[in-house]
Amino acid sequence: MVEAGWIAVSLSGALERGAAAGAIVDGRELALWRDSAGAAHVWEDRCPHRGMRLSFGFVRGDRLGCLYHGWQFDGAGQCRSIPAHPDLEVPATIKAATFAATEACGLVWTSLEGEAPLALALDAAETTPVRSLYLDAPLGAAIAALTAAEIPAFSGGGDAKPHLAPLAGAKDAWTLTVGGDRLIVAGQSVDAGHSALHLVILGAPSTYAGAGQKHFARWAAQFRLAAESPKGAAMKEAA
Amino acid sequence: MGERVRFVFRGRLDPESFSAFARQRAARLALGVEFGLASRTACEVTVRGEAPLVDAFDMACSLGPLDCIVIDVERGPAA
Repeated sequence: MVEAGWIAVSLSGALERGAAAGAIVDGRELALWRDSAGAAHVWEDRCPHRGMRLSFGFVRGDRLGCLYHGWQFDGAGQCRSIPAHPDLEVPATIKAATFAATEACGLVWTSLEGEAPLALALDAAETTPVRSLYLDAPLGAAIAALTAAEIPAFSGGGDAKPHLAPLAGAKDAWTLTVGGDRLIVAGQSVDAGHSALHLVILGAPSTYAGAGQKHFARWAAQFRLAAESPKGAAMKEAA
Repeated sequence: MGERVRFVFRGRLDPESFSAFARQRAARLALGVEFGLASRTACEVTVRGEAPLVDAFDMACSLGPLDCIVIDVERGPAA
């Protein structure tokens, strides 16, 4: 059962204008899409017509069209056009199920239970995206591994020992401080055995773009090996 | 407004489940709906609305809910 709270489902940069993609949160299938004006939307991944995944759909301006029969839905989820019946006044009862969606700190967030606007307890003037890491491990195991992980800092200064702290205002999100660097680690529980971590550096692209991103992206790939198979990673290290 | 169409869905049905499913689909398609005979082998449903939406209702109920198998659909104008 999904608890109330804002959950990160994608890096903002990973959801391009005019594109649609799928995401899963605690087994619930979602369609993410970005309209031509740049607004991100999070909907139930099911067309009300015949159940086709809307994440396979196409964006036309401010509408999402279903790939199956081309039914088009506006930003509020209301069906506006049925190609097979162009003269039909589509009733208001035909609409896609939508969820609250917003963007902050370089991430797309959604609230599946509907609640107050997202208010993250941090001040982030600029952020630099790293990557989304998809793991064959439950979110709890991923975070436990993260807590014990050795994380090399990119910037000097500060405390070299990584420090993970819950990020107030969002569900399953933390700030990670290591050396002079600070990151957001936003968790997404996909299902009982899979999860995602969306990584964003709390710092300007002028400082972190390129080398900084690669630094943490390489670390993340190695971290995933350890998080998915702690025993295997230890054996590899011992070899 | 629109047309009034009588359907009889025949097959292996759970009348309660099928009726609930048909009611929900009719509501989604903004159709007026009335139910007649309902048994484990047939469910009679009369809908009223725009022709394309009645057609969509026909298609939606021709598969029915998970616990029903619709084998035949009889359709005609309602009295």
